Amino acid sequence: MRDGAMRTGWFQSLPVTLRVPIVTAVLMIALGLVASQGVLTALRRVQDSRLVETARLHVEGLSVALGPFVLRQDVWEVYDILERARAASDGQRLLQTVVADAGGNVLAASDPTRAPVGSEMTRYEVDAVAPAAVTMTGDPVLRVASPLKYQGREVGRIVTELDVTDLLAERRRVTLWLLFGNAAATAVLAFAGWLAVARILRPVGTLVRAMDATEGVPRPIAEADIPRSDPGLARLIATYNRMTTAVEARAEAERRLAERERFVSLGRLSSSLAHEINNPLGGLLNAADTIVTYADRPEVVRESGNLMLRGLTHMRDVARAILDQNRLDRTGQPLRAVDFEDLRLLFEPEAISREQRLDWQITAGDATLAALPSAQVRQVTLNLLLNASEAAGTGGRVGLSVSNGADVLSILVDDTGPGLGPDHLARLLSSGPLPPGGGVGLRLAHDIVVGLNGRITHTRSDGATIIRVDLPAQVQV
Amino acid sequence: MAFTRRAFLAGTAALAAPAVLAQSHTAVRFALTPVFLDNDAAVISALQTALAEGMGRTVELVQRRTYQEITGALLDGSVDAAWTCGYPFLQHRSELVLLGVPVWNGQPLYQSYLIASSDDPAQSLSDLRGGTHAFSDPDSNSGYLVTASDLARMGQTPEMFFSRTIFTFGHRNVVRAVAGGLTRSGSVDGYVWEVLSRVEPDLTARTRIVARSEWLGFPPFVARSDRTSDPIVAACRSALLGLAGTPSGQVALSLLFLDGVAGTEASLFDGIAARMAAIGPEP
Repeated sequence: MRDGAMRTGWFQSLPVTLRVPIVTAVLMIALGLVASQGVLTALRRVQDSRLVETARLHVEGLSVALGPFVLRQDVWEVYDILERARAASDGQRLLQTVVADAGGNVLAASDPTRAPVGSEMTRYEVDAVAPAAVTMTGDPVLRVASPLKYQGREVGRIVTELDVTDLLAERRRVTLWLLFGNAAATAVLAFAGWLAVARILRPVGTLVRAMDATEGVPRPIAEADIPRSDPGLARLIATYNRMTTAVEARAEAERRLAERERFVSLGRLSSSLAHEINNPLGGLLNAADTIVTYADRPEVVRESGNLMLRGLTHMRDVARAILDQNRLDRTGQPLRAVDFEDLRLLFEPEAISREQRLDWQITAGDATLAALPSAQVRQVTLNLLLNASEAAGTGGRVGLSVSNGADVLSILVDDTGPGLGPDHLARLLSSGPLPPGGGVGLRLAHDIVVGLNGRITHTRSDGATIIRVDLPAQVQV
Repeated sequence: MAFTRRAFLAGTAALAAPAVLAQSHTAVRFALTPVFLDNDAAVISALQTALAEGMGRTVELVQRRTYQEITGALLDGSVDAAWTCGYPFLQHRSELVLLGVPVWNGQPLYQSYLIASSDDPAQSLSDLRGGTHAFSDPDSNSGYLVTASDLARMGQTPEMFFSRTIFTFGHRNVVRAVAGGLTRSGSVDGYVWEVLSRVEPDLTARTRIVARSEWLGFPPFVARSDRTSDPIVAACRSALLGLAGTPSGQVALSLLFLDGVAGTEASLFDGIAARMAAIGPEP
C-alpha cells in the first residue's frame, strides 16, 4: 500500500508533458497486446479449422477406400492405398498413416518401418485426438485417430500423423511481425503523442515556470506566448496575468502602507508628544518671565537660564527622535543602544499619559545590536510597545527587555492587558491574508521580523501577555 | 527419356487404333496377367497394337488381378488366348496348349529372385525365417512356387517359416512391399526385377537379391487346347511368333525388353514341374 502510494507519488511528480505521453504509450501497448491477441486467436482458429478439414477429408476418404480391405485384412491393398495416398499428398501435411484391424494390430502403415505389420496399434495412438477435435498444441506433429467404419460397423482404426511445422512457423512469423509492428507503431505513436502533448501543453509549461519563478514573485506571461488557438488556455493565462498584476498591486499597497505606518506610529504618539513639548513650554515661559523680572539678580537669571537650557535640550531631543523616526528607513544605520533611548523618549510620554508603569531594561551588547539594522528594529519595537500600551490600559504595566544570546537578539515586550485576540494573533504570527478591519502595525512587525529571518512567539502567563522577537544577529568579528 | 519415348509410342498407338478397328469386327480377346509391368499403359497399348496388326483383327486386352481369374476366363472361353505363367499352365496342362514363349536375353528362360531390403543382412532363404514375406500370386511360379518349394525341401511351409505372408498380386508390388519395408522379404519374377532395375532404378535400389533360382521356363502364351484349330487362336500364334518381324511388334518387344516370341515344347517347364512335385499334390 505504502509502495503503491510511493509509486503513485513518483509518477505524479513527473511533469505532465512526460506523464501524458507515458500514459499514451502504455495505452498503445495495451491496445497492441489486445489486437495481437485477437489476430493470433483468429489465426489459431483458421489453422485449427484447416487442420480439422485436412484430417477429416483424409480420414473419411481413406475410410471409404480402406473399408473392405481392412475387413478382409488384406495387408497389401491397405498398404497400396496408403502409399498411393501418401504419394498424392507428397511433401504435404500427412507424415504417416497407420491402419489397424478390429483386434488392434497394425495391418499396414504408409511407412511400415515405423509401424511394422502386426505391431500393436496403441503405441501409435498416444496423444491422438478425433479429427474434429484436432487443434494446434505447439507440437510440430499432431496425431489424429478415428475408427474405420465399413457397412455400418467398426472394422478397424486409423491413426494419422499431421506435420504442422509450417503452421507453427507461420504463427511464429505472425507473432514476430506483430511484435515488431506493434513495437514500432507504439514507439511512433508514443513519440507523436509526446510531440503533440508537449506542443499542446507548452503554454501550461510556461504558466508553471512563470508561477515557479524565483523570488516568489509571480511574473506575467508575454502576450506572444498566449495560445490564441486554445480559448480555454488563453483565458486561463489571461486570468493568471491579471492575478500577477493584482499581486504586484497588493505588494505595492503593502509597501505604501508600511511607509505610512511610520507616520501612523508617530500619529498615535502626537498627542503625548505635543504634551511633551507643551509641558516644558510653561516652565520655559516662567523661566523667561523670571529672567525678565529679575534681570538684575544674576543668581536667579542663571538658575532660570539653566532651567530653560534643560527644557530646550529635552525639546531638542524629542524633536530629533521624531525626525530620526521619520528618516529611519532611509539611513540603513546599524542598531545602537541610543536607538532604544530614542524609543523611550518617544514612548514614555504615551505611557505616562495612561498612568502606566514602564519597565525598561536594555542589556544587549553593542556588538550584537550593531549586527541588525536600526530602522527595522526600531519600527518593530515601537509597534509592539504601542500595541502593549493600548492593551494594558490606564494604570497598567508595560515592559521592554532587550537582551542578547549567542548570535541572537531577543526583544521581549510584555503588558498586563487582557491578551491578544485571534485577529491580532493572526496579524502578528502568520503570513496569511489579513482579516478585515484593524490596522497593519502588527502585520508590519511580523513582515519585518520575517524579512530579518527572525521569529515571533507569543505567550500568556500570570495575567501578562509576552511577545518575544528573536532576531539572528551574526556578530561581525 | 524412357517415359517420353513411351508416351510418344502410346500416342502413335492411339492414332493407329481406328485403322486396326476397320480391319475386322471380330475382336480377339487376349488376357494379360499382372505378371509384369501391369501399370504401364504404354506397354499394354503397344502390345495391343502389335497383336492387332499381326492378326489383322481388333484386339481387346483383358486384365485381371490374379492368375486364377485369367485361367478361369481362358477355360470358360471368355478370352481367346492369354499370357500366363508356367505354373498355371502346368496346373491345367491337359486343357491348355502353348502358343509361344517370350525370348529374353536370347533364351526363353527366367529366374525367380528372393529379395530383401537393401540393408538386410540375409544371405539365404533360411536367414529370413520369422520375418514377413511378400508373394506375388499363389499361382505364380517365380512369385510363389519357387520359394514355397524351397521351403518344402527344408520341411517347411511359408505359413510356418514366415511370421506373416501377403500376396500383392503383382511382381512390381512385391518389389514395392520390400522396398517400402512392408515385408522383410519377397519372391519376385527375376525378369520383372531386372526390367524394373532399368526403368525404375530408385525402386529396385532399395532391395537386394538374396538368392536366385535355377533358370526356368519363361511365362508362356497359351490357349485352350480344344481350340487349336480355331482361326483366331492360329492367328494369335502366328502374330505372336511374328512379333519380332513387324515394326509395331518390335516396338512392343523393346518396351518389354524381350527379343521375340519362340515356339516351344512343354518340356521347357520341367523345372517348374519338379518344384510342383516338391510341394506335393494340391489340396
